[in-house]
Amino acid sequence: MTGLGLATAENGKAISSFGDRLIRSLEYLRFKARSHNAIYACETVSRVVSEQHKYRLYIEMFPKEWEQSTRSLYRAGHFRAYSERTNEFFQFVNDTCFPLLEYWQDDPELELERFTIPAMNFDLCCEEVDFAHLRDSYLAGLIFYFLEDDEIWNYFSAKYAVDKESLPPIKTAHANIWKEKHGAKAKPFSDLIRLVDHSTGNPWLDVTNCQYPEFFEWDKETVDWLTEAYQAANLYFKNLEQLDKRIEEDAQTFFSELISFWNNGKVGSGGKANR
Amino acid sequence: MQPDESPLELLRAENEQINPAIILAERLMRRDAAQLLSVEEVNEAENILAIGTQEIETIESHRKAFQKTPASAIDYVPVGF
Repeated sequence: MTGLGLATAENGKAISSFGDRLIRSLEYLRFKARSHNAIYACETVSRVVSEQHKYRLYIEMFPKEWEQSTRSLYRAGHFRAYSERTNEFFQFVNDTCFPLLEYWQDDPELELERFTIPAMNFDLCCEEVDFAHLRDSYLAGLIFYFLEDDEIWNYFSAKYAVDKESLPPIKTAHANIWKEKHGAKAKPFSDLIRLVDHSTGNPWLDVTNCQYPEFFEWDKETVDWLTEAYQAANLYFKNLEQLDKRIEEDAQTFFSELISFWNNGKVGSGGKANR
Repeated sequence: MQPDESPLELLRAENEQINPAIILAERLMRRDAAQLLSVEEVNEAENILAIGTQEIETIESHRKAFQKTPASAIDYVPVGF
């Protein structure tokens, strides 16, 4: 028993425990000791307003959890710039919306006034092609970006007996492959190339570790948008399963159609249904 | 800034007040964090923050101006000397 929990009054409203009131008092005394410093006062106002903004978002997004929460509004949490309650909010966002705290964002001194998101996609510019962890369909998409590298072809030749010499040569990408809409046959190829090219329009898939990071604000619209985009990003990878199956079934035909789409903006000889 | 005004005259012309951020910070620190600030209160805080920051910058510019000002003799003895 820490004694820091929030008791509940008859009207259902939370009452601060002795421990929390003590922490609040200590925070106040710490503030009073420096309160005639205008710079510190500005920092205090800024910090309080920022924290209040996050409490409001917490209540809006997780009202039940807020009511039941016993986390302190005053004691600093893991991220020391924020209270335990705000840290709890970050954790809920991480657990139910998108990965906020995973990967590199584990420094307790980190300020999350604006936050970045980790790259989910393979980094074309600085990563080694990882044959063990990338899906075969994703590797297939990489053939257009590693034209001088035979390693990928050697991999497919060994695994699926793909004969590169019997496939059409890879030309410059046809402009039509970047069209927004495609038929049912061409769409999986379009999605694959957009994914590999980092041009899906989805921040989780397009961001790379080598570019200047995009910073996101703490507001409901942004959090909702990133949540939906994260689900869509996972769906992108899930859809690769279908392409993997097609490679397993007939790799030679798959590569022939994929290269045809890249070269001509359509699959195969080009009936309307294929476009 | 008028070119003929000395840093001392400029400082004398400033309003004498406590930085409003100090007063607001005191108010916010006494408040129960569970009672969320209203939209109006947040707007007020942001305005005060802008004024408070501006005041800090103004004082800083006065300080720099004073540092550049050459020393000059005064024609009276200040109280306490």
